[in-house]
Amino acid sequence: MNTKKKITAIAAAAPQQVAAHDAGDISLHASRLSLALEGKNILRDISFSLPAQGINVLIGPSGAGKSTLLRCLNMLHTQWQGDLQIMGRDVRKWPDSEDGLRRTIGLIAQKPTLFPCSIQQNIVFGLSRKDRNHMPENRIKKVLKQAALWDEVKNRLHDQAATLSVGQQQRLCIARALMLSPNMLLLDEPTASLDPRSRQFIEASLLELSENMPVLCVTHDIEQAKRLGGKIIFMCDGRLIESGDSKLFFKHPNRIESREFLRWSVCDCS
Amino acid sequence: MLNLWMRTSALISLLVVVVMLGFLLQQSWPYWQHDGLNPLLSGDWYPYEHLFGLAAAIIGSFWAALIALAIAIPTGLAAAVMSTEILPGPWRSLMRSGMELLAGIPSVVYGLLGLWILLPLLQSNLHLLTGHNLLAAGLLLSVMVLPTIMVMTQDALCEVSSHQRDTAASLGMGWSARLWRVLLPQAWPGIRSGILLALGRALGETMAVMLVVGSMDRIPDPWYNLLAPAQTLTSRIGREIGESAFGSMHFSALMACGLLLALITITISMLAHIRSDKISVNRP
Amino acid sequence: MNERCAKTLTIMLALPALLLPAACLLYILFKGIPALDWAMLSGSSQDAAFGSISALWPQITGSLLLMLGACLLAAPVALGGTLFYALAANIRQRKALLGIMHLLVGIPPIVYGLCGLIVLVHMLHWGISLLTGMVILAVIILPMLLMNSVNAIKRIPSEKTAAARALGLSNGQLIRRVWLPAAWPALMTGLLLGMARALSETAPILFTATVFSGVSWPDSLFSPVTSLQTHLFYLAQEGANAEAVDIAWASAVILIILVTALSFGASALRNIRMNG
Repeated sequence: MNTKKKITAIAAAAPQQVAAHDAGDISLHASRLSLALEGKNILRDISFSLPAQGINVLIGPSGAGKSTLLRCLNMLHTQWQGDLQIMGRDVRKWPDSEDGLRRTIGLIAQKPTLFPCSIQQNIVFGLSRKDRNHMPENRIKKVLKQAALWDEVKNRLHDQAATLSVGQQQRLCIARALMLSPNMLLLDEPTASLDPRSRQFIEASLLELSENMPVLCVTHDIEQAKRLGGKIIFMCDGRLIESGDSKLFFKHPNRIESREFLRWSVCDCS
Repeated sequence: MLNLWMRTSALISLLVVVVMLGFLLQQSWPYWQHDGLNPLLSGDWYPYEHLFGLAAAIIGSFWAALIALAIAIPTGLAAAVMSTEILPGPWRSLMRSGMELLAGIPSVVYGLLGLWILLPLLQSNLHLLTGHNLLAAGLLLSVMVLPTIMVMTQDALCEVSSHQRDTAASLGMGWSARLWRVLLPQAWPGIRSGILLALGRALGETMAVMLVVGSMDRIPDPWYNLLAPAQTLTSRIGREIGESAFGSMHFSALMACGLLLALITITISMLAHIRSDKISVNRP
Repeated sequence: MNERCAKTLTIMLALPALLLPAACLLYILFKGIPALDWAMLSGSSQDAAFGSISALWPQITGSLLLMLGACLLAAPVALGGTLFYALAANIRQRKALLGIMHLLVGIPPIVYGLCGLIVLVHMLHWGISLLTGMVILAVIILPMLLMNSVNAIKRIPSEKTAAARALGLSNGQLIRRVWLPAAWPALMTGLLLGMARALSETAPILFTATVFSGVSWPDSLFSPVTSLQTHLFYLAQEGANAEAVDIAWASAVILIILVTALSFGASALRNIRMNG
């Protein structure tokens, strides 16, 4: 909550940057992002924006640079070129450094990564010492409910986090990210290694969360992309090929790469 | 043929341990029989009057090792953190090579350095009659065990997975929070092993200590007086083994020093080893 | 700001670890190089006064002899133990073998010296001799060599071994045609590090294998030798004799050069393994 207020205050204090685009509707705006690592072009001229709420699906074949793009958005990769604005603010000039930026963006990795401590300690891991020690029970309950995990862990908050199943661990990661009250949520193939039931849970909670904040979910599973709906961003070979409404994209892909990708994936399924 | 060779080799390894500890015990038996465990508490060591108290040497050994660790642990940890978490790749391997170089310098060369650099420095700066003292031994040992601590810590830090690092970073944790709350706790078992190994090495180091410690059998008086000549278990063995006749009580007492040293260091290295065993089991 | 403070503090604490290797090495070279001229290395051993034998050749050869002997004794046992570990041992025997090796690594070298003194010098009546020194050093480097070669064999992918087994190779053929070609750089790395270790150990041979002077070339395995390490130890204490201390620095330089050459060889081999 606190962070959100801070960010709005910052946005208000920097009108000239907000004016660059329509800050009311757009929470993230990237233009001409490029990244080369060890001489290889991973990302080339990526431009897109995310509206203030709703779900966005980043789709593309493996090796398209999807995960790398997510890592650029919260500055885990810093060597990129181009311009990236979040909440109307240049991320390179973020007031409380990269760490503050990362607190406003929840990033969930493909492989659920927990710290070797209890479930509750994991949830509050990202907070400052003061907040960790005086965290009201109902705040924890709230984020766990948002991540659709509360019913399964309400009696075992002090168990080791490693005792959870992989699906539960991934939802715990989402709860942990929500604990920081982020302004947007980025997920890197969050259900790639999960069973169908956990996948359903996560998809449902993502849809619910997307009512209040933008959610950007990377996937290479077309069926999942169709289920999530919202806006599609299609990437291939480091380039952003096509973006637009999900239904339109799956019905009438404009570009040859998109058609190619959809055809192969359909073959995969049958 | 192959089978015979294999089994003989394995047997030799086993025999070495049995023979070593067995003969040490056998040779020091007269000593233990003579006084029981009393000499462990007595500080008087006068071979010609048949007084063989071990307390002075034991206290000296532990003092020297403690000083060494007190200096080497913070420095070694900081160096390892610096090389893995602050410096870029090429520097990391350069620092590691530097440490390996330091580890490769024979202990007698450290003794030479201590004798001709450290002692004069201590003598003139602290206005002592002689620079030979426990502080000098501890300082010298700290340089010698630094590589052990640094290299083990570096390995332990490198083994913390990049997922853990990235996750901590994406939770917005700052550099020092990541270090204290993620990296160091997870690397701790490895660091602990490194510290224990360093302690064992510091207790068992002979040549360098022997050259600088002064070889005077006195319990530091008062107990924190580190600036007077003293004795350690190893330096006593090294200094006196040549003068003692095989089979005499003096010889037997020196063997008792050796046995004690072996038992202490074996315990320490077993602690370190058990610990590192557990990690490898727990790690998926 | 807080982060920068933490980093600065770390670097400050780490500074000694950065500067010490360079400082130690430079100082030794600074003191040793001037004293180290070839005339001294090759000069005859009679012309100098007792206590500062100028020519260091007998010491160098003595050290190298001890080192080579130790390796020749330890390497077959280490290899045999490794094969036992890999081919014949069950899980408990494996654990026991590695446990014993960890135990041996933990024992300080001087304790090995004491045991050698009891068993080899006095009980077997070998006296203070080259052979005693070799055996003691061999036992000291044995655990190192064995653990290193066990790791080297473990690192061979098990599919390779399984494929060889499937082709019906016997143990001997497996070792010669699959394991040795795959693991030799790692085995040699271990051997070189063992040699470096044998070269730098001083305490255990001080009273079991070496004498200060009077020997230039050992007559047999049962006669004492002189070695660079112990020579350095004796000379270091000749405070009154400036020349002796100079020679001590020179010996230190020679010793460090030998040891460093061996460890550089080891890391070069390690790189071969990584590339290959």
